Amino acid sequence: MKKLVVLFGLLTVSLLTIAQNGTIRGIVIDNETGERIMGASIMFPNNPGVGSISDLDGEFTVSIAPGKHTVLISFIGLGDYTVNDVAVTAGETTFLGELRMKEASDQLVEVVVQATVKRKTETALLTLKRKSAVVLDGISSSLIKEIGDNDAVEAAKRITGVTVEGGKYVYVRGLGDSYSKTTLNNMEIPGLDPDRNSIQMDIFPTSLVDNMMVSKTFSAHLPADFSGGLMNLELKSFPEEKIFEVSVSAGYNPSMHLNSDYLTYKGGKSDFLGFDDGTRALPNGADQSEIPTPISGHSKEEVGDFIKGFNSTLGAQKKTSPMDMGFNLTFGNQKMLQNEKNSKLGYIFSLAYKNETRYYDDVVYGEYQKYIDPEQYELRYATVQNGQVGQNNVLLGGLAGVAIKNLNSKHRVMLLHLQSGEKKAGQFFIDNDGQAVGQSGYLGLSHNLEYNQRSLTNLLLNGTYRLKYGAVEIDWRIAPTYSTGSYPDIRKTAFTFESTDTFFSAGAAGNPTRIWRSLSEFNIPVAFDITEDLKFMGRDFQFKTGISNIYKMRDYNIRSFDVQFFGKQPDWVEQDPDAVLTDDLTYPNGNIYFQSGNGDPNPNEYQSRSNNTGAYVSGEMNLTSKLKVVAGLRGENFIQWHTGRDQAYANGNIAEGKNLDNEVVLESFNLFPSMNAIYALTKMQNARFSYSRTIARPSFKQLSFAQILDPISNRIFNGSLFQYSDWGGELQVTNIDNIDLRWESFTRDGEMISFSAFYKYFTNPIELVRIPEQQTSTEYQPRNVGNGTLYGIEFEFRKNLEFISKKLSKFSVNGNVTLVKSYIDMTDLEFNSRQNFERMGQTIQNRRAMAGQSPYSINGGIMYKDKEKHMSGGIFYNVKGPTLQIVGVGLFPDIYTIPFHSLNASFSKQFGKDHKNGLSLKASNLLMDKLESMYRSYKAADQPFNSWSPGMSFSVGLSHKI
Amino acid sequence: MKKVKLLALAAAALVFASSCNDDEGTTTPPNNNGGDDEMVVTANISENTTWSSDKVYVLGGRITVLDGVTLTIEPGTVIKGQAGTGANATALLVARGGKLMAEGTADAPIIFTSVADEIMPSDVAAGNFASPNLDPNINGLWGGIIVLGKAPISASNDNGDVSEVQIEGIPTSDANGLYGGSVADDNSGVLKYISIRHGGTNIGSGNEINGLTMGGVGSGTTVENIEVVANQDDGIEWFGGTVNVKNVVVWNCGDDGIDTDQAWAGTLDNFVVATVSGHSFELDGPEGSMNAGHKIMNGSVICSDADVTSQDLINTDDNSIVDLEKIYFTAVKSGQQINRVSAAGVTFTDIKINVDAADLASHVNGDVPAGVSTGTTGYADISGLGWTWASKAGGLSGL
Repeated sequence: MKKLVVLFGLLTVSLLTIAQNGTIRGIVIDNETGERIMGASIMFPNNPGVGSISDLDGEFTVSIAPGKHTVLISFIGLGDYTVNDVAVTAGETTFLGELRMKEASDQLVEVVVQATVKRKTETALLTLKRKSAVVLDGISSSLIKEIGDNDAVEAAKRITGVTVEGGKYVYVRGLGDSYSKTTLNNMEIPGLDPDRNSIQMDIFPTSLVDNMMVSKTFSAHLPADFSGGLMNLELKSFPEEKIFEVSVSAGYNPSMHLNSDYLTYKGGKSDFLGFDDGTRALPNGADQSEIPTPISGHSKEEVGDFIKGFNSTLGAQKKTSPMDMGFNLTFGNQKMLQNEKNSKLGYIFSLAYKNETRYYDDVVYGEYQKYIDPEQYELRYATVQNGQVGQNNVLLGGLAGVAIKNLNSKHRVMLLHLQSGEKKAGQFFIDNDGQAVGQSGYLGLSHNLEYNQRSLTNLLLNGTYRLKYGAVEIDWRIAPTYSTGSYPDIRKTAFTFESTDTFFSAGAAGNPTRIWRSLSEFNIPVAFDITEDLKFMGRDFQFKTGISNIYKMRDYNIRSFDVQFFGKQPDWVEQDPDAVLTDDLTYPNGNIYFQSGNGDPNPNEYQSRSNNTGAYVSGEMNLTSKLKVVAGLRGENFIQWHTGRDQAYANGNIAEGKNLDNEVVLESFNLFPSMNAIYALTKMQNARFSYSRTIARPSFKQLSFAQILDPISNRIFNGSLFQYSDWGGELQVTNIDNIDLRWESFTRDGEMISFSAFYKYFTNPIELVRIPEQQTSTEYQPRNVGNGTLYGIEFEFRKNLEFISKKLSKFSVNGNVTLVKSYIDMTDLEFNSRQNFERMGQTIQNRRAMAGQSPYSINGGIMYKDKEKHMSGGIFYNVKGPTLQIVGVGLFPDIYTIPFHSLNASFSKQFGKDHKNGLSLKASNLLMDKLESMYRSYKAADQPFNSWSPGMSFSVGLSHKI
Repeated sequence: MKKVKLLALAAAALVFASSCNDDEGTTTPPNNNGGDDEMVVTANISENTTWSSDKVYVLGGRITVLDGVTLTIEPGTVIKGQAGTGANATALLVARGGKLMAEGTADAPIIFTSVADEIMPSDVAAGNFASPNLDPNINGLWGGIIVLGKAPISASNDNGDVSEVQIEGIPTSDANGLYGGSVADDNSGVLKYISIRHGGTNIGSGNEINGLTMGGVGSGTTVENIEVVANQDDGIEWFGGTVNVKNVVVWNCGDDGIDTDQAWAGTLDNFVVATVSGHSFELDGPEGSMNAGHKIMNGSVICSDADVTSQDLINTDDNSIVDLEKIYFTAVKSGQQINRVSAAGVTFTDIKINVDAADLASHVNGDVPAGVSTGTTGYADISGLGWTWASKAGGLSGL
């Protein structure tokens, strides 16, 4: 890493010093298709000795003496393009932007004003979108630059149909995580959060974003495991202009920051950098099958020494919360290596740091049940926890890339590292109702301390070649990723209260517990693609083929330890968790020791691997001058292996226990046909049809024997490999048939309107099901449920408000409204158990909505953009309808995610000399809505499952270009 | 040329995929043999088996007597559970349809304890039933005994075709933890002269392993002369079922003494509950539409000693159905109460509390029912309980 920095340093220095000439750059675009043109000639009629050719990215770079120049661009079959009055300054780059070459009859002459060509033409991306056979949408660097967004998330909001969750995850069309997917440079990267398909986007500065494209329909060259939308973030390798940007930001949330009630705990010295310094490491000897206890045959002193390995801080402490802050350094440029060969070197570097603090003072976790009496409609609580949680997130990210290209080849290497640490401290009052089914009744006070450390290192190697004058493109990519996610030392200490006593009660609030969870994963995706432009029966025919392979390997384990008392425990009158692990109470002086909750072998440890080999062919052709069809077939052979065992085997029951030693738990070969057709009704109006088959596969965690306890909410996730009651333990893939119909109309400056209708059929969808037989603890298991059907309509638009009044020409609105009807035919088990708890007057149907599918989603934004004043802003609203989150069975009602009305505003301005300074302002959750999931039952008031208020927050960012 | 490249890459991908197949090691199965006089049991009991008093049987995990199988335990046998918490807890589980024939005698009881206990069958044979090294208040060292049957339970989902639920203390991944059915006279075997000690390890908040748990156990089952000492959770807990139980001692348990749920329809006759940390009685009502109740009679309760003060004298819910008859509470401290006298299904007959008459009202939450009065003599017949550790250690003195 250090070497890279030095290298970049040297490069910029050399660029700054040797340049006496100036540089002109531009991108040559085919006006008709929006595609980039390779091999166009760049000439200077007044300087005959100078010239260049556009490379495989359609880009050209010319070094020329300072002064005013005329640039002439020509390409066989297209008319010449002339740019007049291009001013060049010594040592600086004049970027002409996208230059659109038209048919031979149209000669084009443009004048340069302020570096870029002044025009009112659509961006190349818009043309691509209009002409593409698959439904896609996106935003490119040229538009981002105009608008002045700060990070990739801000920019993504401008794409219609995109929803941002938690300020960092991007979803498409309101479909949840299991049906959306995010890729980086077209390669699959596991998110920092191992349970999500998505990578967080807020760490990429927009100056490094080349484009973000969303595919809303599937075609054969894409991975088949998405159904809603696939978002790809393509990073720049050759910045058009030198980037050297520093930005700082500060955020303030009135209800969370500078609050003296904020909860935290003493962690390690490197917490502020996003990793633990060893303070939370597993104690020495804790990974042994036999740990020292009073009954293990170890001496009192050995027991005591072992206990000393456990950090004795157990209580959440009050402290004043800091504000959010962030820092970003971005750096990049390109350099001509050899003029004759037109070979260039591009490099980028970015460093991001964020430190964010949250404090939720109204957190509720509820467990509710129906009454036995069908005339009692209201829900009763089994357990309600009310409390406060303080949370500090640190994110450190670094990105470095080097690329070399000449006219027809490009190679790049990119290294990305993300590191995050989330420190959490909470305090909850627990009320368990003994009258509820399966409950014994108690009151408790718990202190919860957690640290979640994650990292991700990704290396991208990529080569692209154009042969036969650009007619053939060959591209290969390898992008290995190593990621880790661990919860070192989760500490839960919960006192139980009974009349006047305060004590630890195993059957009530439990004994103090320590948990270590760790995950590491290797992902190695490889892809090789060939695209060739051919002629077939006199018409253009584009043929694509490729193969890909993704190999993944995960190691996971959980270890837990409980405090035990060898004899009588003291009365904890002070209710001080930090008084528990003190020298006079623990061994050898006292009677406190740790007991292991880990079997040998550990049933909560698994290794999973999967390999997915894919191959495809696809052809794109204009069947008539108006009808373009892309049809393809993709095959994927997916195998998942698992090494793990169930409790029985771990307990030594080798005869009946299940032990998988690297055994195949899922094997499926699937063919994914796809057909996308676009019919040009007029030049700016299309009708589209698309059919495809896609897939959703169970994750490693879903296809395991793991039993994962969330120590705060006390809910337990069970891997699906357990056979239980009438669940056979064999989780199947979900096959999805998708049909889309769409009408769309565009205008040149990016306005559009579209209506779509879509239909999806899900075979064997996977949902999280509450296990009805388990009534004491709250347990879930992912299971295949009956088949699902979904259909809906979508309305999308982007419109400038100039049509209302000239004064509003700087405003535009965009939006996306989706209405969805989904249903699943219940399994008999589910239907019967629902009937058993039918309320008086209620009629239970054997159909219900699909889990994770909201009945509607609305995205809308009003955007403002003033190019002259270098100002932009916007107000964005987003909401999803109530969504079935967890399928309730029998006694337990369904749980719905309640609509969160998200209203955010942002504003940015560039100012100062050459507009090198930027100011950005953001306000989030202006409606002060609450994040809530609720239990819902017939004629009953909703009761909370999870609930807390994120509050309203404001942030200010300042950036400076050097 | 293109094709060749494609093939080469495809081949490379295949090699890559297959070469990654053989990288896992094998797991060594846990040791199945202890010393000569010790037998570590790790597998479920899947065929008729007898445990004899010449060996110590060590429970290496949650050992289940499977459906259709009988485990016979000879008098004087010592069974010890290994340490472990959570899902790793050790226990003896008798699944529905399984049978436990554990017929100890007053001279040779069957002892369930922790591996930390140095007691040996020879001690039992010699008449020394107390632990040589563990105090009678050390708890949480292993799990407990769980007997499950097919008798009716009043669980929340009993009126459809799902009539079974998962017993507390057994993780959901183990389907042997299901209990309940419609065989009222179901027979899970015979449990006689059994002392269960030092168990009740931590399972998770709200979840418990009791000394003796009976879920849906039918009236064909014999359960008598049972002692539970120093269990971290409840002493004995019933989840529905129809079994009758007599001659019981619950001593020094960390939570409730006698705990009933899901409309247990049987009788507990002649018992002592001494110095438990929770409620002496925690008596819940039906959870499903089946309404049935139980009877608890002829008992003596010691509510405190120098170290421990119990919680409620009797704790019932609104919907509890129980007849309480001839129960004597002594060593009663201020604050200890009968929590509720308003439940329609609960009757009090000859309940005696050893306090001054003036203080009686303070021990009843509500109007003192006619059946509750002061008294100074116990109802339990302790003459037959002399075999218990509690009795031998003087824990029953004063009754």
